[in-house]
Amino acid sequence: MSLFRLISWPYFRRHVLRTLLTTAGIVLGVAVFVGMHAANQSVLFAFSRTVDRIAGKTELQVTAAETGFPEEVLDKVQTAGSVRVAVPVIEAVVDTNLKGQGSLLVLGIDMTGDRSLRDYDLESGDDAVVDDPLVFLAQPDSIIVSNEFAGRNRLSVGQRLTLGTVEGEKPFTIRGVMKASGLTSAFGGNLAIMDVYAAQKMFGRGRSFDRIDLAVKPGRSIGEAQRELTALVGPGFQIDPPSGRGQQFEAMLTAYSMGVNISSAFALFIGMFIIYNSFSIAVIQRRSEIGILRALGATRRQIRWLFLGESAVTGLIGSIGGVAFGVLIAHAIAASIGTLIADVYGVAQRTDEIARTPGLLAIAVAIGVTTSMVAAAIPAMNAARVDPVQALQKGKYQVLSAGESRLRAILALVLGLVSVVCLTTAGSRPVFYVGYFLAIVVALLLSPLLALTLARALRPMLKWVRPVEGALAADSLIQSPRRTSASVAALMLSLALVVAFAGMARASYDSIIDWMNATLNPDLFVLPSPNIVVRTIRFPPAMAGQLAAIPGIRRVQMVRDARVVFRRTPVMVVAVEMKSVAETVTRMPVEGDPDEMYRRAAAAEGLIVSDNLAELQHLRVGDTLEVPAPNGVLRLPLVGIVVDYSDQQGTILMDRSLFVRYWNDDTVNIFRVYVTPGAHVSDVRQRILETFAGQRQVFVLTNGELKAYILKITDQWFGLTSVQIAVAVLVAILGIVNTLTVSITDRRRELGVLQAVGGLHAQIRRTIWIEALSIGVLGLALGYALGAVNLYYILQIVHHDIAGLRLDYEFPVATVVALIPAILGAAFVAAIWPAESAVRGSLVEALEYE
Amino acid sequence: MSVAAAHMIALEHVTKQFAGKRRVTALDDVSVAIPRGEMVAIIGPSGSGKSTLLNLVGGLDRPTAGSVRVDGEALAGLTDDNLTRVRRDKIGFIFQFFNLLPTLTSLENVGLPLHLRGWPRKRVEERARELLTLVQLEARMDHLPDELSGGERQRVAIARALSVYPPILLADEPTGNLDTRTGQEILALVRDLHSRLKSTVVIVTHDMSVAGSCERTIALRDGRIVDDVRRAAPNPTRGEHVALQAD
Amino acid sequence: MSRRMGRAGRVGRAGRIVLLAMALAIHAHSALAQNARQIVEEAQKRTDAKSQRYEGLLQVFDAKGKISDKRWSFERLGSHGNSKAVLRFTAPAEVKGVALLVVNHPDRASDQWMWTPAIERDRRIALQDRSTRFFGTDFSFEDLEERDVDQFDYTLAGDDAVDGSACWRIESRPKESKSSQYTKSVVWIRKDDYAFARFENYVKDQVVRRLNYSDIENVQGIWTARQMEMADLRRGSRTRLTLDKLAYNVPFKDEDFTLQAIRRP
Repeated sequence: MSLFRLISWPYFRRHVLRTLLTTAGIVLGVAVFVGMHAANQSVLFAFSRTVDRIAGKTELQVTAAETGFPEEVLDKVQTAGSVRVAVPVIEAVVDTNLKGQGSLLVLGIDMTGDRSLRDYDLESGDDAVVDDPLVFLAQPDSIIVSNEFAGRNRLSVGQRLTLGTVEGEKPFTIRGVMKASGLTSAFGGNLAIMDVYAAQKMFGRGRSFDRIDLAVKPGRSIGEAQRELTALVGPGFQIDPPSGRGQQFEAMLTAYSMGVNISSAFALFIGMFIIYNSFSIAVIQRRSEIGILRALGATRRQIRWLFLGESAVTGLIGSIGGVAFGVLIAHAIAASIGTLIADVYGVAQRTDEIARTPGLLAIAVAIGVTTSMVAAAIPAMNAARVDPVQALQKGKYQVLSAGESRLRAILALVLGLVSVVCLTTAGSRPVFYVGYFLAIVVALLLSPLLALTLARALRPMLKWVRPVEGALAADSLIQSPRRTSASVAALMLSLALVVAFAGMARASYDSIIDWMNATLNPDLFVLPSPNIVVRTIRFPPAMAGQLAAIPGIRRVQMVRDARVVFRRTPVMVVAVEMKSVAETVTRMPVEGDPDEMYRRAAAAEGLIVSDNLAELQHLRVGDTLEVPAPNGVLRLPLVGIVVDYSDQQGTILMDRSLFVRYWNDDTVNIFRVYVTPGAHVSDVRQRILETFAGQRQVFVLTNGELKAYILKITDQWFGLTSVQIAVAVLVAILGIVNTLTVSITDRRRELGVLQAVGGLHAQIRRTIWIEALSIGVLGLALGYALGAVNLYYILQIVHHDIAGLRLDYEFPVATVVALIPAILGAAFVAAIWPAESAVRGSLVEALEYE
Repeated sequence: MSVAAAHMIALEHVTKQFAGKRRVTALDDVSVAIPRGEMVAIIGPSGSGKSTLLNLVGGLDRPTAGSVRVDGEALAGLTDDNLTRVRRDKIGFIFQFFNLLPTLTSLENVGLPLHLRGWPRKRVEERARELLTLVQLEARMDHLPDELSGGERQRVAIARALSVYPPILLADEPTGNLDTRTGQEILALVRDLHSRLKSTVVIVTHDMSVAGSCERTIALRDGRIVDDVRRAAPNPTRGEHVALQAD
Repeated sequence: MSRRMGRAGRVGRAGRIVLLAMALAIHAHSALAQNARQIVEEAQKRTDAKSQRYEGLLQVFDAKGKISDKRWSFERLGSHGNSKAVLRFTAPAEVKGVALLVVNHPDRASDQWMWTPAIERDRRIALQDRSTRFFGTDFSFEDLEERDVDQFDYTLAGDDAVDGSACWRIESRPKESKSSQYTKSVVWIRKDDYAFARFENYVKDQVVRRLNYSDIENVQGIWTARQMEMADLRRGSRTRLTLDKLAYNVPFKDEDFTLQAIRRP
């Protein structure tokens, strides 16, 4: 400790900025980790909390994924011996049309049923929430809102509220205001209650419920009830405690969470690298100090712990800062995840609080400190190895020894070979990941050598541009390969991540465009909601006839898509009129014969699955699939595998008749409309709108609009890339500032000489700028090279482990080009302060500086 | 002591203090004038203020009080960059530790100030070669400082100082880091250049033999001038005010 | 209220919405009773009829004196837990057409359905928490329930006069097996015609609800109160039910007491 106070503290104090920068590395890593995870957790937590609060005393919920099921199931459930009480529920998320209020979660419940499961607080003491329950039931426009919602929007009993329904926007009458309770705070307070049967009508559910909430009879166990109900209602239902919905929600977000994990891991890794570099530099700079300490009797152990202790303190401070900063950015991230989830998965949720789970924060601090200490381990070891005699002699110490370079090269070669071998022996996932890890290690091992080589190659060019400033900048890089490779490697890592993500985005984008062009060829799409992933509002099938009767319409196809549970994974079922679709769309199957595939699927004799589902669930043509449905298990052979991007977890395509039969649901999500040749699409669209005006809420998208919409969603999904880019730019700035502050210290005398022999301030600044830009260039070159490799690995991971998508390798040229000015700009920004500090300060001291 | 504006270097009531825990007065109300073409040695013990004086003349530092004029131009009001321009045009520096840039060859080191002045490459190279020839280092043009002996390094440094044939050469212990023989060679070179180029030379030194070879010797002690002697014909071997030499 | 005490062994469960209306209208006259329990049994027996019809006016007076009126027509076939009844709201406009069908079974809880014309839906009405208010009135669901004579202990607490008629004052306490929101009830039964005259329901030692019977008339041999008023003493509100066009033993058809029937306006 005293060593720490005597030696480290003064060093920190003398190098405030550098200490800050080192800490910033950890702050960055921990902040991204905390921000991403806290946001993710908050979203999951908000969802679970909403589920919880709505669930009340519900012990089990009966659902058929999101498809809903006939009312008769309720009767069956109510007869179960282990059930004390069972009530139906419909949930709908509707647009409030109120500024800044977003959507409202409408809970349809049986007002005349048992209310013991939920505390609606409809009657407390002397005040009834609902003035006249009979009027409430008799009028389908009746709604009860939470006190929070009413307060926020200055609404009171008797006032009107316009909500979107299947029949268009309808005014609802507030007939009650719920008092504050657990329930009213669900969904951020944007909660309303209406009668379940009115909800069926308003939201086009026919005679079905979304869910049955139930409580078990006293003395019966939940497991017992689960078994009894499973036997009673069949395999097409999920009978789980309310928390199960949270798990399903989580499962749906797997791909997203994976992205979050990869991002935070990289951020930490980069943070670790910044620490490693700072400490390596510190050890080199403090060589003579270490030599003196050793000469005075400090043991190697003491020296090692001096550095490890410093790193632990840095890590601790950085982690605390990172946690604070992470919680701050978590708000923004959570908001964007919320939008993403609503737009991509069609699950509306509100995140009002950021989960500050002590566990997460503790883990973050632990990770921060550990990362910092691990990063400092090698420099600390090097410090302990410093020979007191050599250290006290002045001389060159920055140059990579030939031996070390050779060792690095050999190690890189060996590991590179192992990495390649790992790739060729495909099949085992752990081996693949080891190969991936080794590839990155190889890049890190080689980065000083490569940076050196590149810097040497760069020198003549720089010298040609600026004989003095250019040459000196290049020399500065060449003379201190460690210092240089520090920020170059950090930059390389973060750029490699950006390239991989951007490449994945690009590839997905292209694949999605191909898929859209192949499958989405109708002229118009008729939807019940402006959001195509919202499936809680649907059309009756009778509309197909009405549409077909409109002049100018040649063909109408009904589509119903719904998330179901297949092999315990939420996947998407897309039910189409297969025969009609086969006539308008010809998809080349990835596996299977096209004619046979369509013929058997149209005859309801087979199912088609998306290639990602086939990949994730290891399905082959000819396999018999078992899809549990409310009316029994749908058992059919797999007749074809096609490319389909409807869902990240996979898609099952089937003929509409099967869905109607097995799910007892004939509603429609989307009508695909083909226009008669010669008819104007815009005229037909107008006619459709006129036909249903005042009758139904109808949204008509043209082919182009729908595609643009899908691409917009895709963009949002890849919004994560922008976080990566932000991190990359930050890393560039941090790393370069760090390197440059060391560089100007190392070169203080040289810069002094330069000024003494006539260098103007502008010229001194220029040499620093050139150095920064060169680091940027080196980082870009190495980052793009590693990115090319990284992209390959990421695509493999996406294919095999995340979404099962087979994406073509395509280097994201546009992003890469766009990043060049961004990174060079960042480098320039990073150089501003060091350049200024280089021209300040005493020339006399600089010249005497040793 | 009044100083004529025609003097190459003129200091009037110059005081330099260094702030710190204890305020140190390095120069205390010093006035001195050095005419064009004079070769002056400044002597004095460690901490007497001789290097400070040189730094002020060279514009590397600014006085706390008083004025410094170089070739008639007052340095006080100049910006850093204008000060650099004065240095660039009028002053050549020779340092005890040579201060060559280790990554540049002799030729590049010598060309450095010329490049900084924005001379075209070709002209820079011609001049650098000319200067290196002048200091008899034709054979060492493409060598890095590491590959040169101490004397050779100082010659490169001198060549660099002469880049634009400045009217003033300032040397801070130019022979301090060299053995006696090499030191004498370097001194001879400086004297030779002085006589050939008619430059004003100011040498800060401990070495009495160096001082003895100058036309004028100014002795400093505790930041004040304690002696100022001009010799009609400088004696290259011995100075006359041996008594003043403290170390 | 629910004057018709259920037969022994009959388990009366909560949520018999319509019983309110039925019970309110039915009274019995009987021979002399020996003790409190016999008096109650006799009072219940005297309300027997093959069918019943009336038009009701339900008025709720809240603490601020605000009145809301509802009208319904009521038809019942059968009696004593083996009956079917249809209650159809006729006013105000917001609830017009809402109909309730109640099918009472001798051996189990009654089935009830509700028809709401605005969404053209019928629904089963599930059992409610028995202390909940019945559709915003001052009656709780428990107040509407058929009371099982065996689940209460009765004590004759004395004689009293209600509206000028001599009455027995009988205290009834739920047995331990019976869960009730009330600690006890005091019931007044007229000595001359065994008609119920008043109910007071207690929570601990405090009266929380009071039900008054008035305009007691003999309709086709059954002593029936034409007006009943339930006061919720805690809320300070009261609900008055007035019966009009009351008739017993009307010839009804079975098919008028089905789900299909209540869907017809």
